[in-house]
Amino acid sequence: MTEVVLVADDDDDILLLVTTRLKRDGFEIVSARNGAEALELARRHTPRVAVLDVGMPGMDGLEVLAAIRADEALAGTRVLLLTAKAQESDVRRGFDTGADAYVKKPFSPAELAGRVRELYDGAL
Amino acid sequence: MGSWRSRPTELCLAAGFLATAVYFAVPRGNPQSVIYDVVGAGSAVAIAYAAVLRRPSRKLPWLLFAFGNLFFAVADMIFSVLVDPPVPSVADVFYLLGYPLVAAGLVLLLLAGGGVRRLGALVDAGILVCAFVLLQWVFVLDPIVDGGGSTAEVAVSAAYPIMDIVLLAGLAGFFVSAAWRTPAFLLLVSSVVLLLVGDEIYGITPDSYRSGDWVDVTWLLSYVIWAAAALHPSMRELSEPRRRPQPRLRVSPARLGVLLAALLTPPVVLLVQDVRPSAPIEIPAYVAAMIAISVFVLLRLVGILRALESIRLRERAARADAEQAQRLLSAQNERLVEADRLKDEFVALISHDLRTPLTSIMGYIELSLDDELDAPLDPERRSYLEVVSRSSGRLLRLVDDLLFVARLQSGRLDLTRSRLDLMEIARQSAEEVRARAEAKAIEVVVDADEPVPIEGDRGRLFQLLDNLVSNAVKFTPDGGRVELRVSRDGEAILEVCDTGVGFTEEEAARVFERFYRTEAAVERQIPGTGLGLFIAHAITAAHGGQISAHPREGGGALFRIRLPLAESTA
Repeated sequence: MTEVVLVADDDDDILLLVTTRLKRDGFEIVSARNGAEALELARRHTPRVAVLDVGMPGMDGLEVLAAIRADEALAGTRVLLLTAKAQESDVRRGFDTGADAYVKKPFSPAELAGRVRELYDGAL
Repeated sequence: MGSWRSRPTELCLAAGFLATAVYFAVPRGNPQSVIYDVVGAGSAVAIAYAAVLRRPSRKLPWLLFAFGNLFFAVADMIFSVLVDPPVPSVADVFYLLGYPLVAAGLVLLLLAGGGVRRLGALVDAGILVCAFVLLQWVFVLDPIVDGGGSTAEVAVSAAYPIMDIVLLAGLAGFFVSAAWRTPAFLLLVSSVVLLLVGDEIYGITPDSYRSGDWVDVTWLLSYVIWAAAALHPSMRELSEPRRRPQPRLRVSPARLGVLLAALLTPPVVLLVQDVRPSAPIEIPAYVAAMIAISVFVLLRLVGILRALESIRLRERAARADAEQAQRLLSAQNERLVEADRLKDEFVALISHDLRTPLTSIMGYIELSLDDELDAPLDPERRSYLEVVSRSSGRLLRLVDDLLFVARLQSGRLDLTRSRLDLMEIARQSAEEVRARAEAKAIEVVVDADEPVPIEGDRGRLFQLLDNLVSNAVKFTPDGGRVELRVSRDGEAILEVCDTGVGFTEEEAARVFERFYRTEAAVERQIPGTGLGLFIAHAITAAHGGQISAHPREGGGALFRIRLPLAESTA
């Protein structure tokens, strides 16, 4: 387990926003712009926390989450889902797949950083 | 239909009955003749006067009646002057001139009423006439022809029953087609029937008649009632084309009775003649009458079958039309459902795509405003960014509302229920709005002193309260007061009241409608979409509760929500 936080979002602006805010709080960041890249980086860095956008083209956030949960080497990784879909059914699906936290877009960067901090400190 | 009451008709009938009574009281001869002539001439004058007085749309039929009766009256006078009238006499000329006139009057009335266009009515009249012709032939005409005498005698004697046939033909057509029950119609038919009855009695027993016999009463009353008919106001309706066409297959008991009697005439007459001693039985006459009647009955049957067929066809066409309309409607309905679904998808998609750029906007503004930044912003730029921040917040709210409404319309509202405390929710909502309220120096007060447990969706209930409390702050001028009251009374009750611009009673009934905005809100340009209260109403209803809006005295609004208490405490 490294001190790394993985951030994945297909929208460059959001990706930059999240990484900028998290870096300011002192986190070490690896970022991915699609699901496949995110999974590859996760396997390479075994991050403590992964911030995954749900709505990515190709492999979406939920699929990445499922792959992480299926990988024993990543058992310690805490996953936070970011989504623009606000429906209860989506939230439930996220938790059922094994998400640790859920943040809806649009989000307050400070609040997101706070949630990441909680997961980071709680992670083994 | 009209009333029976008519002063002229009543006077005419009273005078006529009196004259008839006097006629039989005075001795035979000249005194009787004078009364008889006065009644006849009076009738003719009264009818002519009525035709002018009542102004029917067609005056001619009534003038024909007047002249017909005048000729009858003149003939009566000549007849009474002649001591021993020969056959034929000058009187016969006038009598025989009268019949075509009155028959023509009847036919004209029939034409004016539009009855002639109804084949069924004409066929019925034809059946009646056939039966009558047979009767005339057997009982009146045949004896005259067989009785011998000069050609002139026979011709004139036979002319009367033939004229009666003409008259009856007119009457029959009139009888089966004209408007029923108007007093003038019934009086007119009665008078013609009386005339015919008198003629028939005379015709059957021509040799035993003497002036002053009781049979005179039929002719006298015919004159009187004819004039009474003309004087009645409803005589105008007789010459009007009927406005409402009667159903084609109308079969009244009276008409059926008359037709049945006509149909039974040949066999009954045959029987009567068979029973009467030495009465001649002329088979060709019966056969001719029965053939004629059969042809008419056949025509009538064809008419009825045709009518049935056309009704059936019309019904089938109507059913086909209805089915076609149904198909169109359901196709249209499918398109509407599809359009509705597309609209919802569109709104959901747009809302989703609006959220992503909004995330960037709001996130980067927050980053820029962050106090920990190395280079702090100068106050002016900071205030600009705060405006952008507030505006994005409003935009986000609008997008959320639209998304919510779109979802509401495409399906029901899914609730994730849990046990909640309404007091706690009210306190938190008040806290969330406090910063905005303080900026306008509005006091936010929560009046609640015990937990009020309910079952509900936490997120939705916060949304509901946030809508109401935000509205209260938005619509309340600076320095006002917003109060949240939570209580229980068999139900959980939450009230949100303010000292804002409020609304009228009429508006209160409509504030929960989608996109509805009060006049005050529009006038003061208070921003809003008219969705907040619609959403509040939907959320309350989904929780099995009620929401109501009330204007407060002295300005301001009061919203009251009633929700079911959590079960174990209800």
